Amino acid sequence: MKKTLPWILFLWIALVIWGAFKYAPLAEGFIGDSSRILFFHVPMAWGAFVGFIAAGIWSARYLFGNRDPRHDRAALASIEVGLIFCILATVSGAIWAKVMWGTYWNWDPRQVWITVAILFYGAYLALRSAVQDRQTRRRLAAAYAILGLVVAPFLFFILPRMTGFTLHPEPVVNQQGKMEMNPQILHVLLLGSSGFTVLFFWIHNLRCRLEDLAESAMFPSQGAHNDR
Amino acid sequence: MSQDISIWTTEALAVFAKEWRCELRTGYALNTLGLFAITTLVVMSISLGHLGIASTEPTTVLPVLLWILLLFAVSAGLPRAFVFEEESQTAIALRLSARPSSLFCGKLAYSFSVVLALEIIVTPLFLTLMHLKIETMPVLLFALVAGGYGLAAGGTLVAAIIAQARSSTTLFSVLALPVLLPLLVLAIEITRSAVAGDPAPIASRQLLLYDGSVTIAGLLLFPAVWNP
Repeated sequence: MKKTLPWILFLWIALVIWGAFKYAPLAEGFIGDSSRILFFHVPMAWGAFVGFIAAGIWSARYLFGNRDPRHDRAALASIEVGLIFCILATVSGAIWAKVMWGTYWNWDPRQVWITVAILFYGAYLALRSAVQDRQTRRRLAAAYAILGLVVAPFLFFILPRMTGFTLHPEPVVNQQGKMEMNPQILHVLLLGSSGFTVLFFWIHNLRCRLEDLAESAMFPSQGAHNDR
Repeated sequence: MSQDISIWTTEALAVFAKEWRCELRTGYALNTLGLFAITTLVVMSISLGHLGIASTEPTTVLPVLLWILLLFAVSAGLPRAFVFEEESQTAIALRLSARPSSLFCGKLAYSFSVVLALEIIVTPLFLTLMHLKIETMPVLLFALVAGGYGLAAGGTLVAAIIAQARSSTTLFSVLALPVLLPLLVLAIEITRSAVAGDPAPIASRQLLLYDGSVTIAGLLLFPAVWNP
């Protein structure tokens, strides 16, 4: 499975690229081909959100479980990969905004909250670098990531809806809980979101394995899994 | 059970009393917070008075300035609550004297009282110097109490996290801002409603939800953060 997954993923993402350019029609109300970038922008934003949630869950498993360092490394990897997804989602969104709104940045509520998410990810990494003792670092970083899980619903759901005014198109599931979207566009978006979720966990797995190896190399006598 | 509650309350009150005793001995937090806020207020007042502000803008701009002022004043003083314990090496004694939940509540009550004291000094000065007219005073009082509580709750938990890190006071702002930003937006929204004369702003419920979420997160996370 470990050897076939990259190939499956390669075909999956290739299918998303083909779907974005050949299968899905141009969306109504968008300038030129600009709607095609959304097949990558939305899944990357989704991947960033998954990273946020996964980091919180792994941190909770570390803090309230048996303090297994692998859970902490999984949380760290989630934040790192999530941060890359978050930056890519922001950049792709800014490129789309330039075509549609004539400016890269206009402080749209969703742009604001993705910026706050980047700040949160950055703060988590800053906290880790400011604590020398490994066990204290893991404990404090886990607590902060869980705190992020508490704040996330306000950032992603409550505040963008409360502000009211937004230039952003309706999300896949609109505020009435319905999907009002061309079926072909919807197919590619769902294929892209699921594909990018698998991509997220594949990169995450590689990052965790690298961290395990680095930990074993640095502390060979303790082993990567038993340095609690 | 009732004895447990009684011991818990005694511990929390003892921590609260100890904090105020230390504060009255040195006057650190009140002096720092108060002078920081007043200095910033004077700078704002001189800058805005000199440059002038359009008659339609105060409703939009001034509530933002009030909450930024409070947030930065809190960032200057609140981290001290736990950093002081680590610096003076009294943290171990405190760990032995009170259970984590009562300690957290005692520290939170102290932080909240300091923020309230700050608001009592700063808000009337701000309203007078900036000529900001409040239409519905109960709404402003609600924003100050609920917003002040949120600042204290989020600030106390982040202060506990950063106390065990290097360059902790700088780190407080980096870690606290993404956590406190939703609160800031909600409190600004309610203050704007108070200026506009709206008797029941929608953001009130969200602010209470934020306060409740952060308090529960604090009670859950603090034992893990505090106990090595």
